[in-house]
Amino acid sequence: MYKGFILILCLIISGCAGQQQANNELANLLYNQDPQRVLDKLQVSEPAKRDFAQFHLNLGLLQFMTADFKSAIATLSLAKREMAVLAASSVSENIGAGSVNETLRSYSGYPTDRVMVHTILALSYLFNNDIDGARVEVLQADIAMKKLTEQHALNGQLASAHLLAGIIYELLDEQSNALISYRNAADIIQQRGLVLPLGLQQALLRNSFKLGAEEQYAAYKKQFPSLATPTNNNKSQVFALYFDGVVSSKIQRSIVVPSLNGEQLIRISMPDYPAKSAPIEQAVIDLQRTQLVENIDSLVRDDLSKEYPSILLLTTTRAIAKYQLVKKADQEDSLFAALINLVTLLTEVADLRSWNMLPATIQFAYIETPESELLIDSRYNVSKKVTIKKGTKNIFLINSLSNNIFHYQQ
Amino acid sequence: MKIKLNLCLVMMTAIMISACSTSVERLDAQQEVDLSGAWNDTDSQLVAREMIEDSLSRPWINNFVNKEGKAPAVIVGRIKNLSHEHINTNTFIANMERELINSGEVQFVASSSARNEIREERGDQDLNAMEATRKEMGQEYGADFMMQGQINTIIDVDGTTQVRFYQVNLELISIKDNRKVWIGEKKLKKLVKNSKLRQ
Repeated sequence: MYKGFILILCLIISGCAGQQQANNELANLLYNQDPQRVLDKLQVSEPAKRDFAQFHLNLGLLQFMTADFKSAIATLSLAKREMAVLAASSVSENIGAGSVNETLRSYSGYPTDRVMVHTILALSYLFNNDIDGARVEVLQADIAMKKLTEQHALNGQLASAHLLAGIIYELLDEQSNALISYRNAADIIQQRGLVLPLGLQQALLRNSFKLGAEEQYAAYKKQFPSLATPTNNNKSQVFALYFDGVVSSKIQRSIVVPSLNGEQLIRISMPDYPAKSAPIEQAVIDLQRTQLVENIDSLVRDDLSKEYPSILLLTTTRAIAKYQLVKKADQEDSLFAALINLVTLLTEVADLRSWNMLPATIQFAYIETPESELLIDSRYNVSKKVTIKKGTKNIFLINSLSNNIFHYQQ
Repeated sequence: MKIKLNLCLVMMTAIMISACSTSVERLDAQQEVDLSGAWNDTDSQLVAREMIEDSLSRPWINNFVNKEGKAPAVIVGRIKNLSHEHINTNTFIANMERELINSGEVQFVASSSARNEIREERGDQDLNAMEATRKEMGQEYGADFMMQGQINTIIDVDGTTQVRFYQVNLELISIKDNRKVWIGEKKLKKLVKNSKLRQ
């Protein structure tokens, strides 16, 4: 009976670890393979129920990247609902996490995931020609960020979500809302110590001008003296977003030490991120380079750092509990104790789950042009020409993983 | 002893499996069921009924009947969803159309999308139907008023507690001269408390 119990536990845990490994490998494949091929591979995988939210986040994102916007909306909406339900704690899962390992807890998403899901959904609605649906999602992103707000902390606050909200409001001629959203985006970028993108500076100046907010306009004019005075012209507006790279996947750091009496082995496994390696690439639209709005790779690291103390506490508590379990077993049967010790070692795996297919950075550029043709240069697009109707408002999404360029025009 | 233990285990497993199985219960469409606190069919029906009742009790309808000698023809235009939720405004529009038609106090004109389909059919009849049964073009009943509106929300969040405030604004506009003859407003407020624990 004991052997059976040990065997079942080992199979369960090796299955969890294998699934996490496979997910990370798929995310890394995105650098070399077309998103459609990665999507095909992900679709045939069978995740455990507790990993559904992570699975649907990645699946929805790949569907979005392959321009299957309707499926992306359905899948990401499902992920959103799953994360909402999983926000509440489960007693049984907590017991599992406290006694075996963290992967027995359902994946409920990190703060960045909870906001980014709305951003990707908003873009999916937009490129599916449903700007009203996109507006709903940016409002929900705002609620999600308010829920995550903590005093003097930027955890779960995404400048890119506010920027997208600003663009959508501007497309809907809601200048007041647009200005507020652009201002929120600028505040976050400045608090993170990043350079305010030129496109965002122009957005603040342009919308304060259009709104007739004279004091604000004067303040921005003083803050950005090199920018041209906005005019009511008939040029086409182009909002270009660029998704660069893939966010890092977590790795496991483990240490195995003998107990003080040398009678058993204790293993501690913690999740970590590898050192950053990929340099940030930019896209060029009509000679204008996209500029960094959000470094998602840094945000996911911050999310983990914030959880690190609680993970460490639980890991330590679990190590003590496992030590006591082996010690108690040893009092009855030393062979059984050795087997239990082996199980405690094998079951001690770090939780490496994350939304690991997100772009590493989100960049932005704004162009006003009288021309009906634009030139786009990015990793998979060399001097690619795209046409726009004169006097229109346009959003382009370019990404570094494929030659797909998504375009919304009104 | 061992048999008893095994029996207990089997019974517990059976209970757990039955707890996990899907169950379906038929509900009356009028029954109020609030699962998430989001805008639902009950809100849609309630708001449509109350707002249409309000609009039909106002003086514009008698003024029109006295002046024109006929019941006004109304069309429901666009209801903009400016809320935080993906609200299917079509069901709300359908609820309002039903309330308006069933009131018997106004005539009702088909929506623009429905009209296009009917025009296509009329065009087809023009070519293919017998003279005696053919319906001519240019005989449509023009609406006198259009109802337009929007659904707005304000959401206040604190941890697992939310206050959801819905405001539905509707207005009836005279198509002839753009006069607004009725403005209606309906507010709903919901307190939603999410559990901190789950199964």
